[in-house]
Amino acid sequence: MAYMSDDDYDYLFKVVLIGDSGVGKSNLLSRFTKNEFSLESKSTIGVEFAARSIQVSEKIVKAQIWDTAGQERYRAITSAYYRGAVGALVIYDVTRNATFENLERWLKELRDHTDSNAVIMLVGNKADLRHLRVVSTEDGKALAERENTFFMETSALESMNVDHAFTEVLTEIFHVVSRKALVAGDAVAVLPKGQTISVSMEDEVSALKKKVGCC
Amino acid sequence: MNSKDLIKRIFYGGLEHELRKEVWKFLLGYYEYESTYAEREYLESVRKLDYETIKSQWKSISVVQAKRFTKFRERKSLIDKDVVRTDRSVPYFEGDDNPNVIVLRDILLTYSFYNFDLGYCQGMSDLLSPILFVMRDEYEAFWSFVALMERLGPNFNRDQSGMHSQLFALSKLVELLDHSLHNYFRQADCLNYFFCFRWILIQFKREFEYEKTMHLWEVLWTHHLSEHFHLYICIAILKSHKKKIMEEQMDFDTLLKFINGLSNQIDLDSVIRDAEALCVCAGGNGAACIPPGTPPSCPVDLDAGLYDQQDDEIL
Repeated sequence: MAYMSDDDYDYLFKVVLIGDSGVGKSNLLSRFTKNEFSLESKSTIGVEFAARSIQVSEKIVKAQIWDTAGQERYRAITSAYYRGAVGALVIYDVTRNATFENLERWLKELRDHTDSNAVIMLVGNKADLRHLRVVSTEDGKALAERENTFFMETSALESMNVDHAFTEVLTEIFHVVSRKALVAGDAVAVLPKGQTISVSMEDEVSALKKKVGCC
Repeated sequence: MNSKDLIKRIFYGGLEHELRKEVWKFLLGYYEYESTYAEREYLESVRKLDYETIKSQWKSISVVQAKRFTKFRERKSLIDKDVVRTDRSVPYFEGDDNPNVIVLRDILLTYSFYNFDLGYCQGMSDLLSPILFVMRDEYEAFWSFVALMERLGPNFNRDQSGMHSQLFALSKLVELLDHSLHNYFRQADCLNYFFCFRWILIQFKREFEYEKTMHLWEVLWTHHLSEHFHLYICIAILKSHKKKIMEEQMDFDTLLKFINGLSNQIDLDSVIRDAEALCVCAGGNGAACIPPGTPPSCPVDLDAGLYDQQDDEIL
């Protein structure tokens, strides 16, 4: 999968990364967008951004990824950043059970603030720390099934499954959007470049009009 | 030189680095301006002992005890995670097994025992780092940090009330000082000013390089012209990019991204000058925009517990 230039894309999707503090959100992001990993990268205050474009079914999809602060007391602020997100990676640390137990609350938070069609994936990060693992793959899968989300275990450190996780989410968003384009008479094809795509069930054209009106 | 002249000089020129250790203590309220040398010497000796006492409270927690002390374990784990990613590119904190990183951790853990209600919140390590860099001594850095947190503690309130009141005051000040910018933010649905959140939470620590941050902090801590000079700094930065923001019709997401991208791109000296002009121009009307008790002012109701006692359930 080639890295592409910033402005050359057919679709722009907003994706958020959420989960407890220290589960590796920022490193998953920097691994995906810059192929970098650092244990010394600063904690996220508020929100940070990065973008990368990938190819899906001959279209170029640009992911604008929002990396949020994990500590609970900042959630009132961070939830404001979910607006307009069409995908989310909800991340936990396979070596810390508390981060797994908190997933349901993150999911609730997410569903309260995003469209019901947003594509969600549970991501168990730090899978490289095999001897420290406390959350089994089976438990992760089971929760994902119960919550009706996608699931992947990753290691930002070893670069394991990181591209795979993001690509799967982006591809799924692409499919959701494409299916609706068919229903709505191919409205998506006429979206101006740079328009963030909404996956709400509203009529695509009216949703687009509203978006243009507000920005 | 009397304290007023001193404050003015710092406001207009900052401090030589060698003077910071001594003078920051006055600016932070760790020393009183009227104190004598002997009084300060005595205070130091008391504080050194007091620090050791508080520190020993967590130092003496055994493994068996820690197993039954979830809050301690959670806080310690969060602090451990944050200190290793705080300013590691600054030479003072650079490299593996750097003892200064351990000191940073010890002070934050001790603070979480000194102020158990507030505990540890992300962002605190950013505030402590330059203080430790200046003070070098562990106990002096601790008490200087305590003095700073007397002012900035409400930034970390669990209900975020301290942050909300500052963001609210900021919106009122922009309305007063730049009506067209205010109208733009209103129609773009950006009046929550969340895009200034990081600026205020950690006093622009992530927006300037290390030395510049220390300069800005001592200017802010003088409280010359206004206790809330940091809000005028926010406005000065926003105004300097007003044309771009409005011409490009930035919406909330775009604005947030744009403001984040300003990190290390802001000319501090011109921003301080502009903020001063704005503050003078706003005068009493500006002060009236800021409700009593807005941090870093003291809370209005001192009888109530200083901090919300419920801890984060997710750390």
